[in-house]
Amino acid sequence: MNVEGSHRFAAAPPAVWALLMDPAVLAKAMPGTRRLERVAPERYEGVMAVGIGPITAAEFDLVITLSELVPPRSYTMQIDGKGSFGFTRGTAQVELAAEGDVTVMRYQAELQVGGKIAALGQRLLDSVSKLLIRQGLEALSRELERKLAEGERPA
Amino acid sequence: VKPPRFEYLRPETLGEAVSLLAARPDAKPLAGGQSLIPAMNFRLAAPAALVDLARLEELRGVRAQGDGLRIGALTTHRELEHNPLIAGHAPLLAQAVPHIAHPQIRSRGTLGGSLAHADPAAELPAVMLALGALLELTGPSGTRQVAADDFFLGLFLTALAPGELITAVTLPGRPPRSGDGFQEFARRHGDYALAGVTLRLALDGAGAVHTVRIALFGVGDGPVRAGQAEQALRGRAPDPAARAEAAAIAAEADCDPPSDIHASAAYRRQLVRVLTRRALEAALTRAESSGG
Repeated sequence: MNVEGSHRFAAAPPAVWALLMDPAVLAKAMPGTRRLERVAPERYEGVMAVGIGPITAAEFDLVITLSELVPPRSYTMQIDGKGSFGFTRGTAQVELAAEGDVTVMRYQAELQVGGKIAALGQRLLDSVSKLLIRQGLEALSRELERKLAEGERPA
Repeated sequence: VKPPRFEYLRPETLGEAVSLLAARPDAKPLAGGQSLIPAMNFRLAAPAALVDLARLEELRGVRAQGDGLRIGALTTHRELEHNPLIAGHAPLLAQAVPHIAHPQIRSRGTLGGSLAHADPAAELPAVMLALGALLELTGPSGTRQVAADDFFLGLFLTALAPGELITAVTLPGRPPRSGDGFQEFARRHGDYALAGVTLRLALDGAGAVHTVRIALFGVGDGPVRAGQAEQALRGRAPDPAARAEAAAIAAEADCDPPSDIHASAAYRRQLVRVLTRRALEAALTRAESSGG
């Protein structure tokens, strides 16, 4: 499955980069994250639970490895998720580019989904992944706005 | 393939059902069970309790209301298909139903269940948009009416608040000189459609399009109103050029279809274009022969 798209953040690339590298922020933004920790400089481990509509949220273990880091411009994510409903594996390329006052993020992911969820929910995978990515990016944007607003306050 | 353990509750009245659901956020209402039970059997869904709505007489029956119809939420697909009132007032519903799954499923599946489930490829949510239906929702804080346009919010996501049930659907009367169209394409009959189109069109005295509501399904997170295609038709004579133009707009501008192993997004767009053209043609023929 290929997932690609773009998102605009109302800040310069370095601020967006800092946000994307902060596990505490990611844990808040990614839908259904129960736990997310940085276990090594470029490795995150966590537990997520995502339920859509009639599907009860089931927990799965998630490992994200970052590579080819070019701050604040681009990086590659290796995604590995495993749970009772199936697994997902793949890579995502993320690029940040300044456009005036905003940062445009472009992402492209190649994901493999297998197991029960793929066998039964195949026709919904594309819509579900688009939905989760949109929710995550919108939450990141809100988090960014909150941080910027805090930063502007006099210390 | 058996469900995990759950508690089974069978209220006798709507009031009782609503208070049970309010008291038990881990419970799910059970109507025809044609989507929920398979999900439980595959252990994708695991509600702690089911509140069976089967005994709620308040949710049954089809009756004329004003110049339109009031259809109880527990009305089965099979009843929608064969009810003479529906055939007269909302033939689009009867026309759509044979495309839903298989006869065994249609004998148990219900209108309210399909709408509450809100599968993006389901026929009935789109039909509700095309007909301009109002949904009656009852919950702990009373009863409210929500337009179908405001009810479907996203992937399996509706305006139903926790503890709220769909109790009925009201359909407006059929406008004079109007006709309906329904087209879908599935690889095998009974499968979820790769794409589908449903619409209602009414003509004015001069034969131009007076009102039109077009809804697409299988091509988004839920049923999709083809608002730009409607705009292109309104006030215009629905000649072949206008119909082809509207169909192209519906396919290119009004939807963002998913790609999966069954069909690519581009293939689904092409389906929307062809099916919209066919549905418009059928609706026009019916409108021209309906008099009024």
